[in-house]
Amino acid sequence: MNILIQQIRLKKIERLKLLIFLSIIIAGLVILLTVENMLLSFLLAFVLKYTLSPLINYSERQGVKRSHATLLVFILFFTIISAVIYWALPYISVQLKAFHAELPRYIEGTRSLIFDIESKVEEIINTSVEFNLSAQAENLMLTWTKSVFEDLPNFLSKSLTTLLLAPFFAYFLLKDSQTISKKLLDLVPNSFFELVLSLQHQINEQMGQFIRARLLEASIVGLIVWAGLSIIDFPYSHLLALFAALTNLIPYIGPIIGAIPAIIIAMINGAGLLAVIGIYAFAQLIDMLFIIPLVVAKIVDLHPITVVISIIIGAQLMGVVGMLVSIPAASMIKVTIQSVYHHLINFRA
Amino acid sequence: MINYLWENLFKKREDIALKILSGNILFQDLNSSELKIVSDFLHLRHYRPAELIFRQNEIGVGMYIILKGRVDILIESDEASKTDNEDFITRLEEGDFMGELSLIEENSRRTASARAINETTVLGFFQPDLKNLLQSHPEIGSRVLLRLSQVLGRRLSETATKITELKKQIKIIKA
Repeated sequence: MNILIQQIRLKKIERLKLLIFLSIIIAGLVILLTVENMLLSFLLAFVLKYTLSPLINYSERQGVKRSHATLLVFILFFTIISAVIYWALPYISVQLKAFHAELPRYIEGTRSLIFDIESKVEEIINTSVEFNLSAQAENLMLTWTKSVFEDLPNFLSKSLTTLLLAPFFAYFLLKDSQTISKKLLDLVPNSFFELVLSLQHQINEQMGQFIRARLLEASIVGLIVWAGLSIIDFPYSHLLALFAALTNLIPYIGPIIGAIPAIIIAMINGAGLLAVIGIYAFAQLIDMLFIIPLVVAKIVDLHPITVVISIIIGAQLMGVVGMLVSIPAASMIKVTIQSVYHHLINFRA
Repeated sequence: MINYLWENLFKKREDIALKILSGNILFQDLNSSELKIVSDFLHLRHYRPAELIFRQNEIGVGMYIILKGRVDILIESDEASKTDNEDFITRLEEGDFMGELSLIEENSRRTASARAINETTVLGFFQPDLKNLLQSHPEIGSRVLLRLSQVLGRRLSETATKITELKKQIKIIKA
């Protein structure tokens, strides 16, 4: 009887602890979602953390203290990044200016390309209905490019806070990862402790693998595109390679979006179309034959419908950045739901 | 003053933890600085009287070392489906450890329940912690793993002996 009373009291305490723990998590999420730049800064910080953690773990294995290893890897990483930016920025800036100057010609060229296709389709299906796609496409491109070039400086200045906050958060996430994780786990009620610890470890592992694999995949694709376009002396090789690398982060439709600008430029210039298609196809071939089976296959897989829905939601919430962030976020939600489900089914007796 | 008291209190608890760790078979090969590294991977948990530390048949992910208090190891009795009866197996005290099989076996289910008798403090060491220790300090991790294998090997040998004994007894009874 005495044990029964004690157990009822314990259950009440456990419920209260669980409520406090969940309230803390919800409060954290509210802060992340409502405070400006906080969500993006944290997401970028996690990307940095997962990218650099293998190097820091390696240094730690060699006997370097974690705090020293973190500082060393950070200095090395930002030196390399600064050097790359210092080297690539003049090229990108020149190509960006040239592209801006040539933009009206490309918009007009795209319009006439769509117009030609439209006329051929009308001839084939012999309809009197006017699609007028070319005019709509021209308007769309004008609005889009105008907003990109006009908003770019504004976007960069706004991103400055995020670009400063993200490495700051990442540094402490890496240096004190164990302490932070232990402090958070201290708040978990006893009856959920092993479950939450196991879940946190699983999510951490899967997200790390996912982010590292995707970044490696995007970098390799970007490098192949850059090398290929540079060899055939195609204009805007730096810009197009950067675009291909970034869009490659979006599964399924990303590689197609990444190739479109180069194909349009080749068609309008009337030169190098086959070579451009060849380069992009080669990059995807390498991706499919080597990178995906070796690196990406083990990581979480999303159904194409999930990918499209995630991208639409991401774009609605945060624009272009939201599109890029949507896939890792969707993967994280999928891993969490899968793990919670697995634990709920298997963990309890 | 408060800081001084707090630091001393905290230091004392840390010293007790390190002392108990050094006496534990899994960590007995480690020196004090290595024990300090290992202790950073462990989780300090507090349990109230009658609180379950783990429950029989649940999936377990690690082991517990008792720092303070006493713990009863119980298994569900045959009549457990009807009532809430549990059979007492043994009582563990300060320095004892339990659940070490779960540190190695994937999705292992607890073969018994552990219930705190009085206010109990334990150090939890779980699979993710062992993996992290092996990743960041492979030398320390492998020494812990070696000792853990020895403990599990001994348990296996004890179980095999018991099974042989039981088989002999069954033969005698049948004869």
